[in-house]
Amino acid sequence: MQWHLDMYRRLLAVQLRSQLQYRTSFALDAISSALVSAIEFAAPMLVLQQFGNNIGGWTMGELALLYGMIDTAYALTDLLFGGFDPDYFAPMVRRGTLDQLLLRPTNITLQILGSEFRLRRFGRIAQGGIILVVALALVGVRWTPAKIAYLPVVLLGQAAFFGGLFIIGSTSTFWTVQRVEIINVFTSGGRVAMCYPMHIYTKWVRRIFTIVPVIFLNYYPALYLLNKPDPLNMPAIAPLMAPVVGFGLLAAAFGFWQFGLRYYASTGT
Amino acid sequence: MRSPIITVQNLNKHFKVRKHHRGRMAGLRNFFTHEYRLVRAVDGVSFQIAPGELVGYIGPNGAGKSTTLKMLTGLLVPTGGELYVGGRIPWKERQAHVASLGAVFGQRTTLWWDLPVIESLDLLQHIYRIPEARFRQNLDEFESLLELGSFLDTPVRSLSLGQRMRADICAALLHDPKLLFLDEPTIGLDVVAKERIRQFILHINRERSTTVILTTHDLSDVEKLCERVMIIDHGKLLFDGTLEALRERFNGRRELAVDFAEAYESVEIDGAQVVAWDGKHATYQFERKVITASELIGRLSARYQIHDLEVREPEIEATVRRIYEERLLES
Repeated sequence: MQWHLDMYRRLLAVQLRSQLQYRTSFALDAISSALVSAIEFAAPMLVLQQFGNNIGGWTMGELALLYGMIDTAYALTDLLFGGFDPDYFAPMVRRGTLDQLLLRPTNITLQILGSEFRLRRFGRIAQGGIILVVALALVGVRWTPAKIAYLPVVLLGQAAFFGGLFIIGSTSTFWTVQRVEIINVFTSGGRVAMCYPMHIYTKWVRRIFTIVPVIFLNYYPALYLLNKPDPLNMPAIAPLMAPVVGFGLLAAAFGFWQFGLRYYASTGT
Repeated sequence: MRSPIITVQNLNKHFKVRKHHRGRMAGLRNFFTHEYRLVRAVDGVSFQIAPGELVGYIGPNGAGKSTTLKMLTGLLVPTGGELYVGGRIPWKERQAHVASLGAVFGQRTTLWWDLPVIESLDLLQHIYRIPEARFRQNLDEFESLLELGSFLDTPVRSLSLGQRMRADICAALLHDPKLLFLDEPTIGLDVVAKERIRQFILHINRERSTTVILTTHDLSDVEKLCERVMIIDHGKLLFDGTLEALRERFNGRRELAVDFAEAYESVEIDGAQVVAWDGKHATYQFERKVITASELIGRLSARYQIHDLEVREPEIEATVRRIYEERLLES
Protein backbone atom coordinates (compact mmCIF):
# COMPACT_ATOMS: atom_id res chain seq x y z
CA MET A 1 0.00 0.00 0.00
CA GLN A 2 2.80 2.35 0.94
CA TRP A 3 4.43 1.65 -2.36
CA HIS A 4 1.21 2.48 -4.16
CA LEU A 5 0.89 5.82 -2.42
CA ASP A 6 4.50 6.49 -3.17
CA MET A 7 3.92 5.58 -6.81
CA TYR A 8 0.87 7.84 -7.02
CA ARG A 9 2.85 10.71 -5.55
CA ARG A 10 5.62 10.17 -8.06
CA LEU A 11 3.21 10.06 -11.00
CA LEU A 12 1.65 13.30 -9.82
CA ALA A 13 5.07 14.87 -9.44
CA VAL A 14 5.84 13.90 -13.03
CA GLN A 15 2.64 15.58 -14.15
CA LEU A 16 3.50 18.72 -12.24
CA ARG A 17 6.97 18.90 -13.68
CA SER A 18 5.60 18.29 -17.15
CA GLN A 19 3.08 21.06 -16.86
CA LEU A 20 5.47 23.48 -15.25
CA GLN A 21 7.72 23.05 -18.26
CA TYR A 22 5.24 25.19 -20.07
CA ARG A 23 5.04 28.05 -17.64
CA THR A 24 3.33 30.57 -19.86
CA SER A 25 0.78 28.05 -20.98
CA PHE A 26 0.10 27.09 -17.40
CA ALA A 27 -0.34 30.68 -16.29
CA LEU A 28 -2.69 31.48 -19.16
CA ASP A 29 -4.62 28.31 -18.47
CA ALA A 30 -5.07 29.09 -14.81
CA ILE A 31 -6.16 32.63 -15.52
CA SER A 32 -8.61 31.69 -18.23
CA SER A 33 -10.06 28.85 -16.12
CA ALA A 34 -10.68 31.31 -13.32
CA LEU A 35 -12.20 33.85 -15.69
CA VAL A 36 -14.53 31.32 -17.24
CA SER A 37 -15.66 30.21 -13.81
CA ALA A 38 -16.20 33.75 -12.70
CA ILE A 39 -18.32 34.52 -15.74
CA GLU A 40 -20.28 31.30 -15.33
CA PHE A 41 -21.10 32.40 -11.84
CA ALA A 42 -21.64 36.06 -12.48
CA ALA A 43 -24.00 35.72 -15.42
CA PRO A 44 -26.93 33.99 -13.67
CA MET A 45 -26.37 36.17 -10.63
CA LEU A 46 -26.69 39.28 -12.74
CA VAL A 47 -29.81 37.91 -14.36
CA LEU A 48 -31.17 37.17 -10.94
CA GLN A 49 -30.92 40.78 -9.96
CA GLN A 50 -33.63 41.48 -12.52
CA PHE A 51 -35.91 39.00 -10.84
CA GLY A 52 -35.96 40.41 -7.38
CA ASN A 53 -32.82 38.75 -6.18
CA ASN A 54 -34.31 35.46 -5.27
CA ILE A 55 -35.33 32.14 -6.72
CA GLY A 56 -37.98 30.13 -4.96
CA GLY A 57 -37.49 32.24 -1.89
CA TRP A 58 -33.76 31.60 -1.79
CA THR A 59 -31.56 34.66 -1.58
CA MET A 60 -28.45 35.41 -3.61
CA GLY A 61 -26.25 34.27 -0.78
CA GLU A 62 -28.08 31.01 -0.47
CA LEU A 63 -27.85 30.39 -4.19
CA ALA A 64 -24.18 31.23 -4.05
CA LEU A 65 -23.82 28.52 -1.43
CA LEU A 66 -25.33 25.97 -3.77
CA TYR A 67 -23.10 27.13 -6.55
CA GLY A 68 -19.97 27.36 -4.44
CA MET A 69 -20.26 23.81 -3.16
CA ILE A 70 -20.77 22.27 -6.57
CA ASP A 71 -18.11 24.38 -8.19
CA THR A 72 -15.51 23.46 -5.62
CA ALA A 73 -16.44 19.80 -5.72
CA TYR A 74 -16.40 19.57 -9.50
CA ALA A 75 -13.05 21.33 -9.68
CA LEU A 76 -11.77 18.80 -7.17
CA THR A 77 -12.99 15.97 -9.38
CA ASP A 78 -11.37 17.51 -12.40
CA LEU A 79 -8.13 17.66 -10.49
CA LEU A 80 -8.16 14.16 -9.08
CA PHE A 81 -10.01 12.22 -11.74
CA GLY A 82 -8.63 14.03 -14.76
CA GLY A 83 -7.27 10.76 -16.10
CA PHE A 84 -10.78 9.41 -16.32
CA ASP A 85 -12.23 12.43 -18.07
CA PRO A 86 -13.78 10.79 -21.14
CA ASP A 87 -12.41 13.55 -23.36
CA TYR A 88 -8.94 12.54 -22.28
CA PHE A 89 -9.50 8.84 -21.83
CA ALA A 90 -11.06 7.96 -25.18
CA PRO A 91 -8.21 9.36 -27.30
CA MET A 92 -5.75 7.71 -24.95
CA VAL A 93 -7.26 4.32 -25.65
CA ARG A 94 -7.36 4.96 -29.39
CA ARG A 95 -3.70 5.94 -29.48
CA GLY A 96 -2.67 2.77 -27.71
CA THR A 97 -1.42 4.56 -24.61
CA LEU A 98 -3.61 2.36 -22.44
CA ASP A 99 -1.70 -0.67 -23.71
CA GLN A 100 1.50 1.04 -22.76
CA LEU A 101 0.26 1.55 -19.23
CA LEU A 102 -0.83 -2.07 -19.10
CA LEU A 103 2.73 -3.08 -19.92
CA ARG A 104 3.99 -1.56 -16.69
CA PRO A 105 3.94 -3.56 -13.45
CA THR A 106 1.76 -1.03 -11.67
CA ASN A 107 -1.90 -1.01 -10.91
CA ILE A 108 -3.65 0.38 -13.97
CA THR A 109 -6.22 2.46 -12.10
CA LEU A 110 -3.48 4.11 -10.12
CA GLN A 111 -1.62 4.94 -13.29
CA ILE A 112 -4.64 6.52 -14.91
CA LEU A 113 -5.45 8.53 -11.79
CA GLY A 114 -1.87 9.73 -11.81
CA SER A 115 -1.74 10.52 -15.47
CA GLU A 116 -3.76 13.70 -15.72
CA PHE A 117 -3.24 15.69 -12.60
CA ARG A 118 -4.32 19.06 -13.85
CA LEU A 119 -2.44 21.64 -11.91
CA ARG A 120 -4.49 24.50 -13.27
CA ARG A 121 -7.52 23.11 -11.50
CA PHE A 122 -6.12 24.50 -8.28
CA GLY A 123 -7.18 27.87 -9.60
CA ARG A 124 -10.66 26.60 -10.14
CA ILE A 125 -10.83 25.02 -6.71
CA ALA A 126 -9.62 28.22 -5.10
CA GLN A 127 -12.20 30.20 -6.95
CA GLY A 128 -15.00 27.82 -6.02
CA GLY A 129 -13.75 27.96 -2.48
CA ILE A 130 -13.89 31.75 -2.47
CA ILE A 131 -17.49 31.75 -3.66
CA LEU A 132 -18.30 29.18 -1.02
CA VAL A 133 -16.68 31.13 1.78
CA VAL A 134 -18.31 34.37 0.70
CA ALA A 135 -21.67 32.65 0.47
CA LEU A 136 -21.32 31.15 3.93
CA ALA A 137 -20.50 34.56 5.30
CA LEU A 138 -23.43 36.17 3.48
CA VAL A 139 -26.04 33.74 4.75
CA GLY A 140 -24.77 33.71 8.29
CA VAL A 141 -24.76 29.98 8.93
CA ARG A 142 -25.33 29.00 12.54
CA TRP A 143 -22.34 26.76 12.89
CA THR A 144 -22.31 23.66 15.00
CA PRO A 145 -19.45 21.15 15.28
CA ALA A 146 -21.58 18.77 13.26
CA LYS A 147 -21.97 21.26 10.47
CA ILE A 148 -18.26 22.01 10.42
CA ALA A 149 -17.48 18.35 10.03
CA TYR A 150 -20.31 17.93 7.58
CA LEU A 151 -19.26 20.42 4.93
CA PRO A 152 -16.04 18.73 3.78
CA VAL A 153 -17.79 15.36 3.79
CA VAL A 154 -20.46 16.72 1.48
CA LEU A 155 -17.88 18.23 -0.84
CA LEU A 156 -16.02 14.95 -1.01
CA GLY A 157 -19.27 13.14 -1.67
CA GLN A 158 -20.05 15.48 -4.53
CA ALA A 159 -16.56 15.09 -5.93
CA ALA A 160 -16.92 11.33 -5.68
CA PHE A 161 -20.20 11.53 -7.55
CA PHE A 162 -18.70 13.43 -10.46
CA GLY A 163 -15.69 11.15 -10.37
CA GLY A 164 -18.02 8.20 -10.69
CA LEU A 165 -19.67 9.79 -13.70
CA PHE A 166 -16.27 10.33 -15.30
CA ILE A 167 -15.32 6.73 -14.78
CA ILE A 168 -18.60 5.47 -16.17
CA GLY A 169 -18.26 7.73 -19.18
CA SER A 170 -14.72 6.59 -19.85
CA THR A 171 -15.42 2.91 -19.38
CA SER A 172 -18.27 3.10 -21.88
CA THR A 173 -15.84 4.19 -24.54
CA PHE A 174 -14.54 0.62 -24.60
CA TRP A 175 -17.81 -0.27 -26.24
CA THR A 176 -18.78 2.86 -28.05
CA VAL A 177 -15.36 4.05 -29.22
CA GLN A 178 -16.48 7.65 -29.28
CA ARG A 179 -17.23 9.30 -26.01
CA VAL A 180 -20.75 9.02 -24.82
CA GLU A 181 -22.48 12.36 -24.96
CA ILE A 182 -25.12 11.26 -22.55
CA ILE A 183 -22.64 11.36 -19.72
CA ASN A 184 -22.24 15.04 -20.36
CA VAL A 185 -25.94 15.43 -19.72
CA PHE A 186 -25.34 14.22 -16.20
CA THR A 187 -22.07 15.95 -15.52
CA SER A 188 -22.68 19.35 -17.02
CA GLY A 189 -26.43 19.19 -16.85
CA GLY A 190 -26.37 17.82 -13.36
CA ARG A 191 -24.03 20.52 -12.22
CA VAL A 192 -26.24 23.28 -13.48
CA ALA A 193 -29.38 21.68 -12.15
CA MET A 194 -27.88 21.25 -8.72
CA CYS A 195 -27.06 24.93 -8.50
CA TYR A 196 -30.68 25.83 -7.96
CA PRO A 197 -32.97 24.84 -5.10
CA MET A 198 -34.82 21.72 -6.08
CA HIS A 199 -38.25 22.88 -5.04
CA ILE A 200 -38.40 25.21 -8.00
CA TYR A 201 -38.52 22.28 -10.38
CA THR A 202 -41.76 20.63 -11.33
CA LYS A 203 -42.68 17.36 -9.78
CA TRP A 204 -41.57 15.05 -12.53
CA VAL A 205 -38.17 16.75 -12.80
CA ARG A 206 -37.75 16.33 -9.07
CA ARG A 207 -38.68 12.68 -9.45
CA ILE A 208 -35.91 12.19 -11.93
CA PHE A 209 -33.47 13.88 -9.63
CA THR A 210 -34.53 11.63 -6.80
CA ILE A 211 -34.16 8.44 -8.77
CA VAL A 212 -30.83 9.62 -10.05
CA PRO A 213 -30.27 10.83 -6.50
CA VAL A 214 -28.81 14.16 -7.36
CA ILE A 215 -31.25 15.87 -5.09
CA PHE A 216 -29.36 14.61 -2.07
CA LEU A 217 -26.01 15.88 -3.21
CA ASN A 218 -26.46 19.61 -2.95
CA TYR A 219 -29.99 20.63 -2.08
CA TYR A 220 -30.39 18.69 1.13
CA PRO A 221 -26.95 19.52 2.44
CA ALA A 222 -27.81 23.16 1.80
CA LEU A 223 -31.12 22.85 3.62
CA TYR A 224 -29.28 21.36 6.55
CA LEU A 225 -26.58 24.00 6.65
CA LEU A 226 -29.07 26.82 6.32
CA ASN A 227 -31.47 25.34 8.85
CA LYS A 228 -34.25 25.60 6.34
CA PRO A 229 -37.37 23.46 6.57
CA ASP A 230 -37.76 20.74 3.99
CA PRO A 231 -40.60 21.66 1.61
CA LEU A 232 -40.55 18.21 0.05
CA ASN A 233 -40.98 16.18 3.21
CA MET A 234 -38.18 13.73 2.77
CA PRO A 235 -37.16 11.52 5.69
CA ALA A 236 -34.95 13.24 8.22
CA ILE A 237 -31.97 11.26 7.14
CA ALA A 238 -31.91 13.02 3.76
CA PRO A 239 -28.96 15.36 4.45
CA LEU A 240 -26.80 12.40 5.33
CA MET A 241 -27.36 10.83 1.96
CA ALA A 242 -24.90 13.06 0.12
CA PRO A 243 -21.74 11.07 0.80
CA VAL A 244 -23.68 7.82 0.51
CA VAL A 245 -24.90 8.73 -2.95
CA GLY A 246 -21.55 10.09 -4.02
CA PHE A 247 -19.36 7.27 -2.82
CA GLY A 248 -21.99 4.75 -3.75
CA LEU A 249 -21.86 5.86 -7.35
CA LEU A 250 -18.08 5.91 -7.24
CA ALA A 251 -17.98 2.35 -5.97
CA ALA A 252 -20.43 1.22 -8.64
CA ALA A 253 -18.36 3.05 -11.24
CA PHE A 254 -15.21 1.22 -10.17
CA GLY A 255 -17.05 -2.05 -10.50
CA PHE A 256 -18.07 -1.11 -13.99
CA TRP A 257 -14.48 -0.10 -14.73
CA GLN A 258 -13.16 -3.51 -13.69
CA PHE A 259 -15.74 -5.10 -15.93
CA GLY A 260 -14.70 -2.81 -18.76
CA LEU A 261 -11.04 -3.73 -18.32
CA ARG A 262 -11.89 -7.40 -18.63
CA TYR A 263 -13.83 -6.68 -21.78
CA TYR A 264 -10.91 -4.69 -23.17
CA ALA A 265 -8.57 -7.58 -22.44
CA SER A 266 -10.66 -9.91 -24.52
CA THR A 267 -11.26 -7.67 -27.49
CA GLY A 268 -8.43 -5.18 -27.59
CA THR A 269 -8.73 -1.98 -29.59
CA MET B 1 14.88 -27.70 -26.15
CA ARG B 2 15.76 -27.03 -22.55
CA SER B 3 12.98 -25.59 -20.51
CA PRO B 4 11.46 -23.08 -22.92
CA ILE B 5 10.73 -19.56 -21.82
CA ILE B 6 7.73 -19.33 -24.10
CA THR B 7 5.37 -22.20 -24.82
CA VAL B 8 2.53 -21.68 -27.21
CA GLN B 9 0.21 -24.55 -27.97
CA ASN B 10 -2.63 -24.34 -30.44
CA LEU B 11 -3.20 -20.68 -29.70
CA ASN B 12 -6.37 -19.12 -31.03
CA LYS B 13 -7.77 -15.64 -31.09
CA HIS B 14 -11.08 -15.10 -32.78
CA PHE B 15 -12.89 -11.83 -33.17
CA LYS B 16 -16.51 -11.33 -33.98
CA VAL B 17 -16.77 -8.62 -36.54
CA ARG B 18 -20.04 -7.09 -37.53
CA LYS B 19 -21.07 -7.89 -41.04
CA HIS B 20 -20.97 -4.83 -43.19
CA HIS B 21 -23.73 -4.30 -45.65
CA ARG B 22 -23.33 -2.63 -48.95
CA GLY B 23 -25.78 -1.16 -51.38
CA ARG B 24 -28.97 0.65 -50.74
CA MET B 25 -29.82 1.73 -47.25
CA ALA B 26 -26.46 0.30 -46.22
CA GLY B 27 -25.89 2.86 -43.51
CA LEU B 28 -29.20 2.18 -41.88
CA ARG B 29 -28.93 -1.56 -42.21
CA ASN B 30 -25.47 -1.47 -40.66
CA PHE B 31 -26.85 0.36 -37.69
CA PHE B 32 -29.38 -2.36 -36.98
CA THR B 33 -27.46 -5.40 -38.05
CA HIS B 34 -26.67 -8.19 -35.64
CA GLU B 35 -24.93 -10.48 -38.03
CA TYR B 36 -21.33 -11.29 -37.34
CA ARG B 37 -18.56 -13.06 -39.08
CA LEU B 38 -15.69 -14.73 -37.32
CA VAL B 39 -12.20 -13.42 -37.91
CA ARG B 40 -9.50 -15.90 -36.99
CA ALA B 41 -6.72 -13.48 -36.22
CA VAL B 42 -4.58 -16.22 -34.71
CA ASP B 43 -5.46 -19.74 -35.74
CA GLY B 44 -3.87 -22.74 -34.12
CA VAL B 45 -0.37 -21.36 -33.64
CA SER B 46 2.17 -23.50 -31.78
CA PHE B 47 5.82 -22.90 -31.01
CA GLN B 48 8.40 -22.89 -28.25
CA ILE B 49 11.17 -20.43 -27.62
CA ALA B 50 14.20 -21.27 -25.53
CA PRO B 51 15.83 -18.74 -23.24
CA GLY B 52 18.45 -16.68 -25.05
CA GLU B 53 17.06 -17.11 -28.54
CA LEU B 54 16.85 -14.21 -30.95
CA VAL B 55 13.76 -14.85 -33.02
CA GLY B 56 12.20 -12.94 -35.87
CA TYR B 57 8.43 -12.98 -35.99
CA ILE B 58 7.36 -11.70 -39.35
CA GLY B 59 4.42 -11.53 -41.67
CA PRO B 60 2.43 -9.11 -43.76
CA ASN B 61 0.17 -6.51 -42.24
CA GLY B 62 -2.94 -8.09 -40.83
CA ALA B 63 -1.24 -11.46 -40.53
CA GLY B 64 -1.80 -11.83 -36.82
CA LYS B 65 1.57 -10.61 -35.55
CA SER B 66 0.32 -7.88 -33.25
CA THR B 67 -2.45 -10.12 -31.99
CA THR B 68 0.06 -12.79 -31.05
CA LEU B 69 2.31 -10.23 -29.40
CA LYS B 70 -0.58 -8.80 -27.44
CA MET B 71 -1.34 -12.24 -26.10
CA LEU B 72 2.30 -12.87 -25.29
CA THR B 73 2.53 -9.60 -23.40
CA GLY B 74 -0.71 -10.23 -21.56
CA LEU B 75 -2.74 -7.44 -23.10
CA LEU B 76 -5.17 -9.77 -24.81
CA VAL B 77 -6.91 -12.91 -23.59
CA PRO B 78 -6.75 -15.83 -26.05
CA THR B 79 -9.88 -17.50 -27.31
CA GLY B 80 -8.32 -20.92 -27.04
CA GLY B 81 -5.10 -22.85 -26.66
CA GLU B 82 -2.28 -22.62 -24.16
CA LEU B 83 0.25 -19.91 -23.61
CA TYR B 84 2.98 -19.78 -21.00
CA VAL B 85 5.69 -17.20 -20.65
CA GLY B 86 8.29 -17.78 -17.97
CA GLY B 87 5.96 -20.34 -16.45
CA ARG B 88 3.12 -17.84 -16.16
CA ILE B 89 -0.09 -17.27 -18.03
CA PRO B 90 0.47 -13.67 -19.12
CA TRP B 91 -3.02 -12.29 -18.96
CA LYS B 92 -3.72 -13.93 -15.65
CA GLU B 93 -0.73 -12.52 -13.82
CA ARG B 94 -0.31 -9.25 -15.62
CA GLN B 95 1.83 -7.31 -13.18
CA ALA B 96 4.20 -10.14 -12.32
CA HIS B 97 4.51 -11.09 -15.98
CA VAL B 98 5.12 -7.58 -17.19
CA ALA B 99 7.79 -6.93 -14.57
CA SER B 100 10.09 -9.39 -16.31
CA LEU B 101 9.68 -8.23 -19.85
CA GLY B 102 10.71 -5.19 -21.82
CA ALA B 103 9.14 -3.78 -24.95
CA VAL B 104 10.23 -1.28 -27.54
CA PHE B 105 7.81 0.08 -30.09
CA GLY B 106 9.29 1.80 -33.09
CA GLN B 107 6.15 3.79 -33.74
CA ARG B 108 5.80 5.36 -30.32
CA THR B 109 7.71 5.95 -27.16
CA THR B 110 7.27 4.49 -23.71
CA LEU B 111 8.83 7.56 -22.12
CA TRP B 112 7.18 10.68 -20.75
CA TRP B 113 6.97 13.15 -23.56
CA ASP B 114 7.66 16.43 -21.82
CA LEU B 115 10.34 15.33 -19.43
CA PRO B 116 14.09 14.93 -19.82
CA VAL B 117 15.07 11.36 -20.63
CA ILE B 118 16.82 10.84 -17.33
CA GLU B 119 13.69 11.71 -15.37
CA SER B 120 11.71 9.12 -17.30
CA LEU B 121 14.38 6.56 -16.51
CA ASP B 122 14.32 7.51 -12.84
CA LEU B 123 10.59 7.04 -12.75
CA LEU B 124 10.93 3.67 -14.40
CA GLN B 125 13.41 2.70 -11.73
CA HIS B 126 10.66 3.11 -9.20
CA ILE B 127 7.98 1.51 -11.30
CA TYR B 128 10.10 -1.58 -11.79
CA ARG B 129 11.58 -1.42 -8.30
CA ILE B 130 15.13 -1.66 -9.55
CA PRO B 131 17.70 -1.60 -6.75
CA GLU B 132 19.79 1.58 -6.88
CA ALA B 133 23.11 -0.17 -7.48
CA ARG B 134 21.79 -2.26 -10.33
CA PHE B 135 20.05 0.74 -11.85
CA ARG B 136 23.28 2.75 -11.82
CA GLN B 137 25.23 -0.13 -13.27
CA ASN B 138 22.83 -0.72 -16.14
CA LEU B 139 22.43 2.97 -16.83
CA ASP B 140 26.18 3.48 -17.02
CA GLU B 141 26.62 0.55 -19.36
CA PHE B 142 23.77 1.53 -21.68
CA GLU B 143 24.73 5.16 -21.59
CA SER B 144 28.14 4.38 -22.96
CA LEU B 145 27.01 1.68 -25.42
CA LEU B 146 24.17 3.77 -26.81
CA GLU B 147 25.89 7.12 -26.39
CA LEU B 148 23.02 8.63 -24.49
CA GLY B 149 25.14 11.09 -22.55
CA SER B 150 24.56 13.96 -24.92
CA PHE B 151 20.80 13.94 -24.58
CA LEU B 152 19.93 12.48 -21.19
CA ASP B 153 18.77 15.91 -20.09
CA THR B 154 16.79 16.64 -23.23
CA PRO B 155 13.00 16.29 -23.14
CA VAL B 156 11.82 13.33 -25.14
CA ARG B 157 9.77 15.52 -27.45
CA SER B 158 12.96 17.25 -28.64
CA LEU B 159 14.84 14.10 -29.53
CA SER B 160 15.55 12.92 -33.03
CA LEU B 161 14.08 9.58 -34.01
CA GLY B 162 17.38 7.78 -33.59
CA GLN B 163 17.95 9.30 -30.17
CA ARG B 164 14.45 8.40 -29.07
CA MET B 165 14.89 4.80 -30.15
CA ARG B 166 18.10 4.51 -28.20
CA ALA B 167 16.46 6.01 -25.14
CA ASP B 168 13.54 3.62 -25.50
CA ILE B 169 15.78 0.58 -25.77
CA CYS B 170 17.70 1.68 -22.72
CA ALA B 171 14.45 2.15 -20.84
CA ALA B 172 13.26 -1.29 -21.83
CA LEU B 173 16.32 -3.03 -20.44
CA LEU B 174 17.05 -1.24 -17.18
CA HIS B 175 15.12 -3.75 -15.14
CA ASP B 176 16.98 -6.75 -16.56
CA PRO B 177 14.03 -8.31 -18.33
CA LYS B 178 14.44 -11.90 -19.39
CA LEU B 179 12.36 -11.27 -22.46
CA LEU B 180 12.53 -8.35 -24.86
CA PHE B 181 9.92 -7.56 -27.50
CA LEU B 182 11.02 -5.32 -30.32
CA ASP B 183 8.37 -3.98 -32.64
CA GLU B 184 9.90 -2.22 -35.64
CA PRO B 185 12.91 -0.98 -33.67
CA THR B 186 14.74 0.41 -36.69
CA ILE B 187 11.88 1.93 -38.60
CA GLY B 188 12.64 5.31 -40.07
CA LEU B 189 16.29 5.24 -39.07
CA ASP B 190 19.24 5.92 -41.30
CA VAL B 191 21.65 3.13 -42.09
CA VAL B 192 24.19 4.08 -39.44
CA ALA B 193 21.58 4.34 -36.72
CA LYS B 194 20.08 1.02 -37.75
CA GLU B 195 23.42 -0.66 -37.49
CA ARG B 196 24.03 0.79 -34.06
CA ILE B 197 20.72 -0.48 -32.76
CA ARG B 198 21.35 -3.90 -34.25
CA GLN B 199 24.77 -4.14 -32.66
CA PHE B 200 23.28 -3.25 -29.32
CA ILE B 201 20.58 -5.89 -29.63
CA LEU B 202 23.17 -8.51 -30.48
CA HIS B 203 25.29 -7.44 -27.54
CA ILE B 204 22.37 -7.68 -25.12
CA ASN B 205 21.37 -11.04 -26.47
CA ARG B 206 24.86 -12.46 -26.18
CA GLU B 207 26.02 -10.88 -22.92
CA ARG B 208 22.82 -11.18 -20.94
CA SER B 209 21.12 -14.10 -22.63
CA THR B 210 18.06 -11.96 -23.03
CA THR B 211 15.48 -13.69 -25.19
CA VAL B 212 14.56 -11.36 -28.01
CA ILE B 213 11.48 -11.44 -30.21
CA LEU B 214 11.74 -9.12 -33.15
CA THR B 215 8.82 -8.03 -35.25
CA THR B 216 9.75 -6.09 -38.32
CA HIS B 217 9.13 -5.45 -41.98
CA ASP B 218 12.80 -4.84 -42.56
CA LEU B 219 14.22 -8.07 -43.90
CA SER B 220 17.78 -6.92 -43.35
CA ASP B 221 17.04 -6.58 -39.62
CA VAL B 222 16.05 -10.21 -39.67
CA GLU B 223 19.00 -11.29 -41.70
CA LYS B 224 21.49 -9.52 -39.49
CA LEU B 225 20.02 -10.50 -36.15
CA CYS B 226 17.90 -13.61 -36.19
CA GLU B 227 19.01 -17.18 -36.10
CA ARG B 228 15.44 -18.27 -36.26
CA VAL B 229 12.48 -16.92 -38.15
CA MET B 230 8.78 -17.51 -37.75
CA ILE B 231 6.41 -16.43 -40.46
CA ILE B 232 2.76 -15.87 -39.82
CA ASP B 233 0.03 -15.11 -42.29
CA HIS B 234 -3.73 -15.26 -42.04
CA GLY B 235 -3.32 -16.27 -38.43
CA LYS B 236 -1.34 -19.39 -39.22
CA LEU B 237 2.30 -20.16 -38.60
CA LEU B 238 3.64 -20.89 -42.03
CA PHE B 239 7.31 -21.26 -41.31
CA ASP B 240 9.45 -21.82 -38.27
CA GLY B 241 13.12 -22.42 -38.86
CA THR B 242 16.46 -20.92 -39.76
CA LEU B 243 17.07 -18.19 -42.26
CA GLU B 244 18.97 -20.52 -44.57
CA ALA B 245 16.11 -22.96 -44.59
CA LEU B 246 13.85 -20.04 -45.43
CA ARG B 247 16.02 -18.95 -48.33
CA GLU B 248 16.25 -22.40 -49.73
CA ARG B 249 12.60 -23.01 -49.39
CA PHE B 250 11.77 -19.69 -50.87
CA ASN B 251 14.01 -20.12 -53.83
CA GLY B 252 12.80 -16.84 -55.04
CA ARG B 253 13.68 -14.44 -57.71
CA ARG B 254 15.89 -11.55 -56.90
CA GLU B 255 16.23 -8.50 -59.02
CA LEU B 256 19.19 -6.57 -60.33
CA ALA B 257 18.54 -3.02 -61.43
CA VAL B 258 21.22 -1.71 -63.76
CA ASP B 259 22.03 1.77 -65.05
CA PHE B 260 24.07 1.39 -68.19
CA ALA B 261 26.68 3.90 -69.27
CA GLU B 262 25.24 3.93 -72.75
CA ALA B 263 22.09 2.81 -74.45
CA TYR B 264 22.54 -0.67 -75.82
CA GLU B 265 20.49 -2.34 -78.50
CA SER B 266 20.08 -5.45 -76.47
CA VAL B 267 20.88 -6.15 -72.89
CA GLU B 268 20.24 -9.88 -72.82
CA ILE B 269 22.39 -11.96 -70.50
CA ASP B 270 22.72 -15.63 -69.73
CA GLY B 271 21.11 -16.79 -66.50
CA ALA B 272 18.79 -13.84 -65.97
CA GLN B 273 15.65 -12.49 -67.47
CA VAL B 274 15.06 -8.94 -68.51
CA VAL B 275 11.82 -7.77 -66.97
CA ALA B 276 12.10 -4.06 -67.60
CA TRP B 277 14.12 -2.03 -70.04
CA ASP B 278 14.02 1.53 -71.24
CA GLY B 279 17.23 2.06 -73.09
CA LYS B 280 19.60 2.94 -70.33
CA HIS B 281 17.99 1.20 -67.39
CA ALA B 282 17.20 -2.47 -67.16
CA THR B 283 15.89 -4.75 -64.48
CA TYR B 284 16.88 -8.39 -64.45
CA GLN B 285 15.30 -11.21 -62.56
CA PHE B 286 17.41 -14.16 -61.58
CA GLU B 287 17.16 -17.16 -59.31
CA ARG B 288 19.54 -17.84 -56.49
CA LYS B 289 19.81 -21.49 -57.43
CA VAL B 290 20.79 -20.68 -60.99
CA ILE B 291 23.20 -17.80 -60.56
CA THR B 292 24.53 -15.66 -57.73
CA ALA B 293 24.37 -11.88 -57.75
CA SER B 294 28.12 -11.51 -58.06
CA GLU B 295 28.26 -13.93 -60.98
CA LEU B 296 25.57 -12.04 -62.78
CA ILE B 297 27.26 -8.73 -62.14
CA GLY B 298 30.47 -10.23 -63.42
CA ARG B 299 28.83 -11.40 -66.64
CA LEU B 300 27.14 -8.08 -67.18
CA SER B 301 30.30 -6.06 -66.57
CA ALA B 302 32.14 -8.20 -69.07
CA ARG B 303 29.55 -7.45 -71.72
CA TYR B 304 28.33 -3.94 -70.97
CA GLN B 305 29.50 -0.70 -69.50
CA ILE B 306 27.71 -0.30 -66.21
CA HIS B 307 27.22 3.03 -64.49
CA ASP B 308 25.45 1.82 -61.37
CA LEU B 309 23.50 -1.14 -60.12
CA GLU B 310 21.39 -2.33 -57.25
CA VAL B 311 20.53 -5.79 -56.00
CA ARG B 312 16.98 -6.04 -54.80
CA GLU B 313 15.95 -8.77 -52.45
CA PRO B 314 12.41 -9.99 -52.68
CA GLU B 315 10.07 -8.05 -50.45
CA ILE B 316 9.10 -9.90 -47.36
CA GLU B 317 5.47 -9.52 -48.32
CA ALA B 318 6.11 -11.26 -51.62
CA THR B 319 8.14 -13.95 -49.84
CA VAL B 320 5.36 -14.69 -47.47
CA ARG B 321 2.67 -14.60 -50.11
CA ARG B 322 4.70 -17.07 -52.06
CA ILE B 323 5.17 -19.36 -49.10
CA TYR B 324 1.52 -19.14 -48.38
CA GLU B 325 0.66 -20.07 -51.92
CA GLU B 326 3.12 -22.91 -51.74
CA ARG B 327 1.50 -24.26 -48.64
CA LEU B 328 -1.85 -23.97 -50.26
CA LEU B 329 -0.60 -26.13 -53.08
CA GLU B 330 1.00 -28.59 -50.71
CA SER B 331 -2.17 -29.26 -48.76
